[in-house]
Amino acid sequence: MNYDIVIGLEVHAQLSTNTKAWCQCEISTNAYENTKVCEVCSAQPGTLPVYNKQAVEYAIKLALATNSEVNKISVFDRKNYFYPDLPKGYQITQFDKPVGEKGFLEILDDEGNVKRIGLQRIQMEEDTGKSSHQGEKSLINLNRAGTPLLEIVSDPDMCTPKEASAYLKKLHSILVYLGICHGNMQDGNFRCDVNVSLKPKGSSKLGTRTEVKNVNSFRHVEMAIEYEVQRHKELLDSGKSILQQTLLFEIETRKTKVLRTKSDADDYRYFPEPDLLPLVITQEHIEKVRSTLPELPDAKIKRFMDSYGIPLYDASVLTSEKALANYFEESLKGYEGEAKKMSNWIMVELLRYLNEAGTSIDRSPVKPSSMASLLNAIQSGKISGKIAKDVFLKMFDTGKAAEAIIKEMGLEQISDEKALIEIAERIVTANAGQVEKYKGGNERVFGFFVGQVMKETNGQANPVMTAEILKKILGQ
Amino acid sequence: MNIYESHNLLKSKKISATELTKEALTKAETSKTNAIITLTSDLALRRAKEADKEISSKGPKGWLHGVPFTLKDLFITKNIRTTAGSKILFNYIPPYEGYVSRSLSDAGAILIGKVSCDEFGMGSTNENTPFGAVKNPHDVNHVAGGSSGGSAASVAEGSSAFSMGTDTGGSIRLPANFCGLVGFKPTYGRVSRYGQIAYGSSLDQAGPVARNVLDVGCVMEAITQKDPLDVTNVPNKTMKIVGALEKANVKDLKGKVIAYSREFIEACDNDVKSSLYDALKVFESSGAILKETSFPHFKYSVAAYYLIATSEASTNLARYDGIHFGFRDKSMKGNLEQTYIRSRTEGFGEEVRKRIILGTFSLSSGYQDQYFAKACKVRRKIYQDFENAFLEADAIFSPVCASLAFKQGEGKQDPLKMYMNDLYTIPVNLAGLPGLALPFGKHGNLPTGFQLIGKSFQDEELLKLGRAFELASKA
Repeated sequence: MNYDIVIGLEVHAQLSTNTKAWCQCEISTNAYENTKVCEVCSAQPGTLPVYNKQAVEYAIKLALATNSEVNKISVFDRKNYFYPDLPKGYQITQFDKPVGEKGFLEILDDEGNVKRIGLQRIQMEEDTGKSSHQGEKSLINLNRAGTPLLEIVSDPDMCTPKEASAYLKKLHSILVYLGICHGNMQDGNFRCDVNVSLKPKGSSKLGTRTEVKNVNSFRHVEMAIEYEVQRHKELLDSGKSILQQTLLFEIETRKTKVLRTKSDADDYRYFPEPDLLPLVITQEHIEKVRSTLPELPDAKIKRFMDSYGIPLYDASVLTSEKALANYFEESLKGYEGEAKKMSNWIMVELLRYLNEAGTSIDRSPVKPSSMASLLNAIQSGKISGKIAKDVFLKMFDTGKAAEAIIKEMGLEQISDEKALIEIAERIVTANAGQVEKYKGGNERVFGFFVGQVMKETNGQANPVMTAEILKKILGQ
Repeated sequence: MNIYESHNLLKSKKISATELTKEALTKAETSKTNAIITLTSDLALRRAKEADKEISSKGPKGWLHGVPFTLKDLFITKNIRTTAGSKILFNYIPPYEGYVSRSLSDAGAILIGKVSCDEFGMGSTNENTPFGAVKNPHDVNHVAGGSSGGSAASVAEGSSAFSMGTDTGGSIRLPANFCGLVGFKPTYGRVSRYGQIAYGSSLDQAGPVARNVLDVGCVMEAITQKDPLDVTNVPNKTMKIVGALEKANVKDLKGKVIAYSREFIEACDNDVKSSLYDALKVFESSGAILKETSFPHFKYSVAAYYLIATSEASTNLARYDGIHFGFRDKSMKGNLEQTYIRSRTEGFGEEVRKRIILGTFSLSSGYQDQYFAKACKVRRKIYQDFENAFLEADAIFSPVCASLAFKQGEGKQDPLKMYMNDLYTIPVNLAGLPGLALPFGKHGNLPTGFQLIGKSFQDEELLKLGRAFELASKA
């Protein structure tokens, strides 16, 4: 049978505030265990939470950046469950009235068309501590406990694994653009729970969903969805039903494994947190935050298309990361040619090598200014496009500037007319047979002569000049 | 020993803080009431010595400088064991200082010890405790009342000039009433709850138990600074009230409208009833205007209270899991869940377990609308009853309890009846209003009294009224 795939995502983004959500403790991922802990985040009796104004501001920022409604009054709730890394025995979160609701963001679907993905809610909450298990013993580290989180719940609007990762990338880039989340997925700054269900094609009734917890890379999200979709399909096709389960994605096997089967026993007894008054956000506050918003990916895409004349696809790729967008604009500063050429070079060459080297744009060994001089060298005919690729590779490996490498390798294009005429004449004289053919009307032989000149000059001959000179000589 | 007079004696150097402290410590050591859980003798003597030094050079820095006091064991004291009256915290030594303890210490008051209470503040007899039931200093066969029984007993027996209690459903006013003292529950939000071990967070409020209203004023001035660590602590000026209380006069009662429900008074035991009518007469003869009124929703208050308080308690007490601090089942058998179960079953007393179960049920999905949510609606209705009464009245007069101090063990026989005894104190917490329990007369050995309820955040007005009554009743 054919099915529609329904995907919804829940993201937990750690906020990069100076202090934790309810206390003054510093947030640190690499401090010694249990050193960034105070009476509040270790839930000593008698302690109370205090709002983190910066976290509230960050939440408003995300709400505004995702076209969400900011609730003027939002309420904190307690979610009750026992676990050793949750010292209060409840998590402070938001239930009925989250800080933001009914937003959306836009992605490119698999065909490259713009698609709107709904954001159900943005809620403020706190992270737990970390448990680690060593044989019989379990150890608790509370450094992370009380770190402010935003939980961002999408509508079930995604239909393919690629759409899901496109949505995640977009959300991730917005968070990083806003400067409210470090976005390091390996550090757990940005974690994703995936909800997948299948329904018969065209049906309006949703199927039973499974939830894959804590998937921590875009690629793994796609793989987890692909695996779940296949698993659901096989079960449904063989007439079996799907169990509502919470799963974990195992990277080694690329399979999901059952964490627990949901039941009615999951009762978190949500109720309003009596230690925190409802959060009141004034229109004035919202406007103040709005005025601090940086240019966001969508606006940037539009601006890149308008002012640099690059296509939607290029603009989307180049704005997917703030650092990449900055790189692109920086590289255009000293560059005299078409922006589209720069875009090609960055997307095709630079990103590929960065990817292969496993490094990021902000650590690129080729600086934007070097990129500009490399392309200028092509533009001015100093080097050919082909040689430029070799030069680029050297630049990438050594971090040296384009000019230095061109000089070092003696790669400068030969544009000395006299020298070129000399070479051309020698080649024409030595290949009388080919000249006959050319004169007999076989124009393709012309390429042979160009090739010979290039061979002679190690590819450094200025191709435009070479062609002109050859035409002249052969035309005599 | 009272605050105001002790202060004057200290100021005129007729007595030293060390003498006052030694006197209090002697009373504590020879006490037959079980009031004190942790006696802090060495610390007290050291602080008294420091206070004497400061006072002799610069005079007392405030009303409480050099004055001995005790703290209900729900108040966090840094490096001093804080048990919440529970086995589950029997060994808990806080790593931080709570607001009330810090404020009083800053004011120069001398901590004599941490006093008993019903476990986590849950009870009205101070019998729900593994540290031994607290006895009424006026008659040891009777209870001191709860949950701040240790506070009331320590002040009444003279082991402190005042004590800090907490009041979630009457826990300051009831023991004050049973022990012949003044007990004040300020408006919710008037005193920071930071460092006060939570029972029902939206109801809990700290306040003093003292010998008279003037002394209550002295304490309030020290504990009403704005505290940024409690967001429910309403920004308000630090209370300045002692001057006004010094100037208070019987004539202040003239023209004041005092509302009361005859039904409530009639429902009390005869001994209590006559004292209540006598108190009303004092108001009337001093020129106050008595006005009968009714509070139609108060009959639901006990039910609403026991749902809201226990719901909040069920989650407030989740942190006592045997993992991070406090009592842990030592058998080390079984898995994590069994450690939770055994630690909590053994660490909590029966009443606390009962309330956790009730609160857990009330918040459960499928029942929350019926119980917790409905109780919250009732709460608003009760607030409206008060608002209506205050349209025409300056204060409300009400019993604290329908009976005199209970006999020891009496409560165990009929728990539901015990809950009903909170009928008159509970609405005040549900509405967040200030309530002042005042002693008035005695029946046999046992004190009687009543409470005055004031308007929200008009704590000062209420205290002035109470002081005027105090003067009138002695006139």
